[in-house]
Amino acid sequence: MTKSATLEVKDGKIRQAINGFLKDLFAKKVVKAMLVPLAHPAGTNVVQALISDPANLDNADVYAPVMPVNSAKILQAMTRLTPTDRKTAVVLRPCEMRAVVELIKLKQVQPDNLIFIGIDCPGAYSVKNYPKFVSEKKTSDDFVKAGFMWADDAMLRAGCQICEYPYPLTADISIGMLGLEPGKVILQADTAQGEAALKTLGFSIDTDSDIAKKRQAALTKLAADVKERRKKFFAKTKEEIGGIEKLTKVFASCIKCQNCRQACPVCYCRECVFISPTFELESDKYLRQAEKKGGIRMPADTLLFHLTRMNHMGNSCVGCGACEEACPNDIPLLKLFQLIGSEAQELFGYVPGRNVEEPLPASAFREKEFEWIGEK
Amino acid sequence: MAEKKEQFEPKIIGFLCNWCTASAADLAGTTRAQYPPNMHPIRVMCSGTVDPMYVLKALLSGADSVMIGGCHPGDCHYVSGNYKARRKIAMLKQIFKSLGLDENRIWLRWISASEGPEFARFIRQITEETRKQGPSPMASDWTV
Amino acid sequence: MQEKNGAVLVIGAGVGGIRSSLDLAESGYKVYLTDRSPGIGGTLIQLETWFPDNQCELCKLLPVFSRDECSQVCLRRDLMHPNIELIPNSRVSKLSGKEGDFKATLNIKSRWVIEERCTACDLCAQVCPVEISDEFNRGLQKRKAIYVRNPQAIPNVYIIDQEHCTKCGKCVEICPTKAVVLNKPDETKELSVGAVILSAGATELPANQMGQYGYGYYANVITNIQLERLLADAGPTHGELLRPSDNKPPRKIAILQCVGSRDMDRNYCSEVCCMYALKESMMLRERYPDAQVTIFYMDIRAFGKDYYRYHLQAKEKGVNFARSRVSRIRENPKTKNLFLLARDEAGKSISAEYDMAVLSVAQCPSPNLTELSKVMNISTNKWGFIDTPGFYITHTSRPGVFVSGSASGPSDISETVIKSSAAACEAASILAKSQKQAAEKKTVHKHQTGKEEDVKIAVYICQCGKEISSIVNIEKTKEFAKKLPNVTSVEDVGFLCLPETLDNVKQAVAKSGANRVIFAACAPYRYQRLFSDALAEAGIDASQWQLVNFQEQLAWVHKDNPTLATRKAQNLLAMAAERLRTQGPLEVPTAEMTHNCLVVGGGISGMTSALSLADQGLDVTLVEKAGELGGHSRNLYYDLIPDNPQALVKGIIDKVKSNPKIKVLLNSELSGISGHIGHFKSQIKSGDKVEQIQHGAVIIATGASDYQPTEYSYGKDARVITQHELQKRLAEGKLGKPATVVMIQCVGSRNNTHPYCNRTCCSEAITNARKIKELSPETQIFILNRDIMAYGFKEQYYTQAREAGVLFHRYEPESEPKVTAGEKALTVEWPDPALPGSLEIDADLLVLSTGYIANEGNATIAKMLAIPLTEDGFFKEIDTKFRPVDVILDGVFITGLANAPRSLAEKIIEAQAAAQRAANVLSREQLTSGRIISEVDKRRCSCCGLCVEACPFDARSLNEEEHYAVVEETLCQGCGMCVSVCPNDAAKLRGQKEKQVFSMVEIGLSA
Repeated sequence: MTKSATLEVKDGKIRQAINGFLKDLFAKKVVKAMLVPLAHPAGTNVVQALISDPANLDNADVYAPVMPVNSAKILQAMTRLTPTDRKTAVVLRPCEMRAVVELIKLKQVQPDNLIFIGIDCPGAYSVKNYPKFVSEKKTSDDFVKAGFMWADDAMLRAGCQICEYPYPLTADISIGMLGLEPGKVILQADTAQGEAALKTLGFSIDTDSDIAKKRQAALTKLAADVKERRKKFFAKTKEEIGGIEKLTKVFASCIKCQNCRQACPVCYCRECVFISPTFELESDKYLRQAEKKGGIRMPADTLLFHLTRMNHMGNSCVGCGACEEACPNDIPLLKLFQLIGSEAQELFGYVPGRNVEEPLPASAFREKEFEWIGEK
Repeated sequence: MAEKKEQFEPKIIGFLCNWCTASAADLAGTTRAQYPPNMHPIRVMCSGTVDPMYVLKALLSGADSVMIGGCHPGDCHYVSGNYKARRKIAMLKQIFKSLGLDENRIWLRWISASEGPEFARFIRQITEETRKQGPSPMASDWTV
Repeated sequence: MQEKNGAVLVIGAGVGGIRSSLDLAESGYKVYLTDRSPGIGGTLIQLETWFPDNQCELCKLLPVFSRDECSQVCLRRDLMHPNIELIPNSRVSKLSGKEGDFKATLNIKSRWVIEERCTACDLCAQVCPVEISDEFNRGLQKRKAIYVRNPQAIPNVYIIDQEHCTKCGKCVEICPTKAVVLNKPDETKELSVGAVILSAGATELPANQMGQYGYGYYANVITNIQLERLLADAGPTHGELLRPSDNKPPRKIAILQCVGSRDMDRNYCSEVCCMYALKESMMLRERYPDAQVTIFYMDIRAFGKDYYRYHLQAKEKGVNFARSRVSRIRENPKTKNLFLLARDEAGKSISAEYDMAVLSVAQCPSPNLTELSKVMNISTNKWGFIDTPGFYITHTSRPGVFVSGSASGPSDISETVIKSSAAACEAASILAKSQKQAAEKKTVHKHQTGKEEDVKIAVYICQCGKEISSIVNIEKTKEFAKKLPNVTSVEDVGFLCLPETLDNVKQAVAKSGANRVIFAACAPYRYQRLFSDALAEAGIDASQWQLVNFQEQLAWVHKDNPTLATRKAQNLLAMAAERLRTQGPLEVPTAEMTHNCLVVGGGISGMTSALSLADQGLDVTLVEKAGELGGHSRNLYYDLIPDNPQALVKGIIDKVKSNPKIKVLLNSELSGISGHIGHFKSQIKSGDKVEQIQHGAVIIATGASDYQPTEYSYGKDARVITQHELQKRLAEGKLGKPATVVMIQCVGSRNNTHPYCNRTCCSEAITNARKIKELSPETQIFILNRDIMAYGFKEQYYTQAREAGVLFHRYEPESEPKVTAGEKALTVEWPDPALPGSLEIDADLLVLSTGYIANEGNATIAKMLAIPLTEDGFFKEIDTKFRPVDVILDGVFITGLANAPRSLAEKIIEAQAAAQRAANVLSREQLTSGRIISEVDKRRCSCCGLCVEACPFDARSLNEEEHYAVVEETLCQGCGMCVSVCPNDAAKLRGQKEKQVFSMVEIGLSA
């Protein structure tokens, strides 16, 4: 059962309509603050900002095709120690929302007083490519109206091209456009909090409206397409990177800067184990390792680092691609993590970000499972 | 006459649970069950203590295969450690599979305290299988 | 540890003796644990697995607290506790004195092998020319006249079978340590003890006494213990089931129940056989899915907690059940196949061919028990088991002498464990008063340096004669070891374990200034205690020395590869050195202790627990919901045990009320509880008042509810009543003289809604039926049942009831009796499987045997304590067999109906067991945990909570204010589950840090 309202878009100005809706949240005192993407005055980027003055929303550009940082990371920084004490809306892309759910499970985000506003996401470009988009005098409205066309836009980030869930899985309010005529926008309330907010704003809430159904049907169809697209992508990836020889080649350019882990929204440790005393070794230990193989690559433990990271967060990988964006040497990390992540997630029947109640595979087990391991 | 080519001797690291598999290893000795000396054991309190990173570390530092020995399901001294171990190893094996690495170099085996003969049998098996697989490429690769 | 005065003699070192000993030792008493056989373990070590998990789990008997006092390895390998003195090969020849002050004389039979010098190298057995049938494997293989009973013997010392030894002297000659001394004289030992616990067990009836089954002359007729040995991996066939006649795997196997029991000679039920037959049949089905397994039985007595489910599981696994007693077995001389002749329930003759027949032979008293009872002057019952008068079934006819396990009647593991803790409880109550003999003081160790540069490691390599040195190149290994960092000396010795050698080593270590020691010798269980004590005297703490196994895990298993074996030896040494080098002293953490106990529930169980604790000098708060004490037991008037329940309950109530150590709170309820062992805080609500109390442990004895039947017009027709109501009428003389009484068993139990057996209803029906017959012999009584659970000695009353004319008829669960209410009578109709068609009886009174259902309030308590309930809503024990009254949260114990239905006498021992488990910790001054426990690097901790969820013992929680995980050290068992789940090493295990493991891995892979 869906509950939704139609957002009126005047003269096809979607950005304006959405910003109006966001402003209204302040005006009707639903929220006192908001984490939302604002166009940077430089014109070359759209960055997340925590605002308390709704006037800032004139610069909001939710659909600008760029995602410099996964906002889950921002929410972790903001709420890990204390939850917000005033109602704060957070406008998130689906992958950001899913990462937030994972971080809630890991007690890194405290969701109290947050209202999650998710968007149907047409994808984003790399921060370094976004100015190109701007220079062509394109706007986010143009981008959205051109449709959701992951397969056709080669400039889209790799992660966006194979995105499994370009629509919010859990949000209080979803801004829905998928499958609708260009220029049509619905606001779907998926929680009581979302519904109450929409009502306060004076929307009339329809249950299972035709337009909501239409979107739902589009999502179902999309899921099948995405599955096919991902299958091909993974098969190709396996060819490209499969086996130790190819894998070490992929990581040949790694400088162990750890930017990937720094950018990853679900790599939540305060300090990575790889910079902990466990890995602070005396010189003789390095030399002993070198003696054993005749030589070792330095800094040491490159593959151990990446494999461990895969082991730690593979099940929570939401495929946002922040790792790949952060890599200074263009290692195809998104490919690798989505490959292992999706296959591990399938093994455990787990979808990261699907449901905050769903236990992390690391903290659950069943007596009857994987019985092929361990027996004779 | 050509010199006889030396047989490849695999290096294997074994993490043995204190309660079951380490006991089985002792029992194998008491009954003089013979097995090859390629597995070098590290005693841990429980198979569930084994961080997959230990396994990765061993495989990247020269082990041709790694074994984890624990109590049979339902028989953990710490209630459910072996179930947790199984999940961890399932995850690790899956990552290896996805990346085209050799998951068959990771072995988890339930061997209870009274299964001394089974312990010896298993070490013979893992040694022979690893010998057949040949040296692990990641064990000798300096670039990992 | 708090040391009390007093010592206890425990006779019999099977599971019961071990449980009693460990309980008493944990409470600080000195225990002499004796056994007639050369080692510990009793019947149990012949079995590799047991129900309900079909796994071992013997290690769960070990103490949870002060773990480092006791060997922390598999109990098949070692039992070591400073308060327990193990005296195998001994028998009590005299017991004088009285409760609190006994003198026992022990005759210790000489092994003809000096224990301290035997290295278990097996050379003697290899040269021994005498071959005899091996008793441990029940004749399925041979052993020598000098032998060790089983490969995991404790103590692991050889022994000469004096009866068969020819004194040829070959063993004396070959023994490298001069350990064999033929004709070494026996010794006697006098012990002063305050109490005696007799747990000498039972024995199997010699199966050849049952001539009709051909045991002993038909090769393929074996006993259940032989089957266990054949299925054992360490058994004669390495776990392969092979027919003795042709070594081929049998395809059709029959298991015969009640062989030698439930008959004229032994009119009791052997109690344990149904469950092991179920286990064995399931094991057979699992391992050999093609095999057909049929159990021939009269009743499947799966009456324990969750046993009924196990029974159903066997059915699901395709085990066949034939309700029939096999009358004869005949063999086909050519094929050696067996024909079983029997009659089915309807009396039809059946004859079927099987490849193998397994006899579930009766448990009966051993000749040893008869002798002991005479020596100790305690009475036995008509079958020769120790007599237990009245409701206290650990009591004997002699005060101060207690009995546990199968010595007083066949008992399965969990009953034995309960009885043994109860017996320990009784003994401890006496010792608490008598203040006799102190346990030995432990050496105080001095602490060593934690700084790596100051570490000095001394390495001693034992050659073990030639056992190690013939495989491992000692010289090369020494050279290698000398180069290892921080190693200051490397020596090799002939036999490290010999007293003279160890003495030299001890002095050398003390002189050398070494602060870490490595012994490269044999498996830890062999001489850990000896080495540990010697090194303690040299100032080396237990956490600062390492034993490297060059024997069992090296020389003995790599005989044909000395080169690689030497490489392995070197790496193992280097790994041990690395561990010691990077390991500072590990302290044993302690925590404060509140020495009193909260008992929730004032029924017979709660009261008994409270009294037992008070008897040991501990303060108790007893909380009861109702306005008076007594619970369900107040409504008990008769029991199969010929004693008066009313008098018992009244006596206990009076004792509780007048005991100054027990504070009784009536009309009160537990409304909140927090904290953990040693310091719980509870809120007790009495009316509007809420009282806060602090306590160190809690016993939950909240009981259960009577099942209120909806079946058979109960509550609508006054002629339909329950057994409890019937008993009340009988007691009040209000029954009158009905012409016909029909009782229906299993009403509201063993069905889909309540898939468990209520254990007590069959006894109750038999009790009431006998009472009716006593008061009104003319009354006709029909008991309609599915299986009669007259386990153990209850069988005799079942027989007596039948002899008194009570008619037992069966019904199948698929066709339950139908009752039609007529004006004059209730017509009961049902098909009896033994008879054609349906039976119809007009009854004046219909009595429903209803059991108990779990209290709804259990869920609230379980939630407050975060402990689990069973599927049926009862509290869930942590281990059915070895810790039946403990739950996952330490310091919380369950007893009585809150745990599972039990009879009155069974409730008493269970309550005492729970009290003893609580007393083990409460009687200590402080709580001490183990050395190896987990810790938190606060700075690194992200407070994600994965470790909290991973911890099985609730030892971890989150400090939400300051955002890091905290460890309750005394709850931590050192399993390391938190370590492997913590992504960034903020969770660490003392004694096994990740960095240490990494170094060891690196070293283990050196060339």
